[in-house]
Amino acid sequence: MPSDGLVTQMRKGALEYCVLALLVGRSRYAFELIEGLASTGMLTSEGTIYPLLSRLRRDGLVDTEWRESTDGPPRRYYRVTAEGKRALKAFRDEWAGFRTAVDAVLEKGATL
Amino acid sequence: MSAPHADQIVNGYLARLEQALADMPNARRTELLEDVRAHIAQARAGLTDETDADILNVLDRIGEPADIATEARERLGVRPRPPSRIGLLEIGALVLTPFLWPVGIILLWTSSAWNTRDNLIGTLVPPGGYMGLGVLAFLPLIAVRTSSGVCGSPGFGYCPAIPSPPAWVGLLVALLFVAYLVLPLLTAVYLGFRLRRANARPTVPA
Repeated sequence: MPSDGLVTQMRKGALEYCVLALLVGRSRYAFELIEGLASTGMLTSEGTIYPLLSRLRRDGLVDTEWRESTDGPPRRYYRVTAEGKRALKAFRDEWAGFRTAVDAVLEKGATL
Repeated sequence: MSAPHADQIVNGYLARLEQALADMPNARRTELLEDVRAHIAQARAGLTDETDADILNVLDRIGEPADIATEARERLGVRPRPPSRIGLLEIGALVLTPFLWPVGIILLWTSSAWNTRDNLIGTLVPPGGYMGLGVLAFLPLIAVRTSSGVCGSPGFGYCPAIPSPPAWVGLLVALLFVAYLVLPLLTAVYLGFRLRRANARPTVPA
């Protein structure tokens, strides 16, 4: 995808909700989140997920806890909070409407 | 078995990351450094017979410190630090205002490093700086000259007696003297302090 301003902004805006969505099923640690996002191409480099996670923590959308790991150092696990679930639901609704509207116009434009 | 230069490479990277995050609030910076440190440790734990190249790859995937810092600034709301405002103008203003007051205050007001209140303090506390001290010292001398220079010489005869100034005038002059000795230095210190504060504190919106 071209990395012009608009698309970059869209990616940035949607990224936190993608992270929240990945956490709805179960708690994950950073590596797993990075893996989950890899296919979307939305994470420019692995390190950039940490400011995002820090932001989510500050906003109370995720919680973290350290857990021991058998094959390595302890890992910080991220868990979505009730607040985070609410935010994700709100985004889903917005996104559905947005996607439909944009698709409709793009479709129309193509047939004119 | 650790790669031969693992610590060097990793510490070098983390130092660059810390530098890039310099304008973030301490807590945020520490947190991010810890997260990345843990990330590196976990990535290395998954390697068997790690080599220097392996470490470099791990760091490559994590990304450039500058990019992480940019992301951090955007996500966590810190404005990038404006370039340092301590330049020749500011140093000149600080040094010259006490000693060469007219030049010093021109530099002071020209520099944008201080607000109006600070500029006024620099100009008026005390007016003239140490040069004002010189003017003050002149006053008694002028008084002495006018009172004795003309009247005592022959041909002028009798001069009305000039009463010596009351004691409180002497006290006032002495106080002014002390003030002029101390204030220029205090003002310079104050201005220097204001300069550092304006530079050091990053701004974070609520």
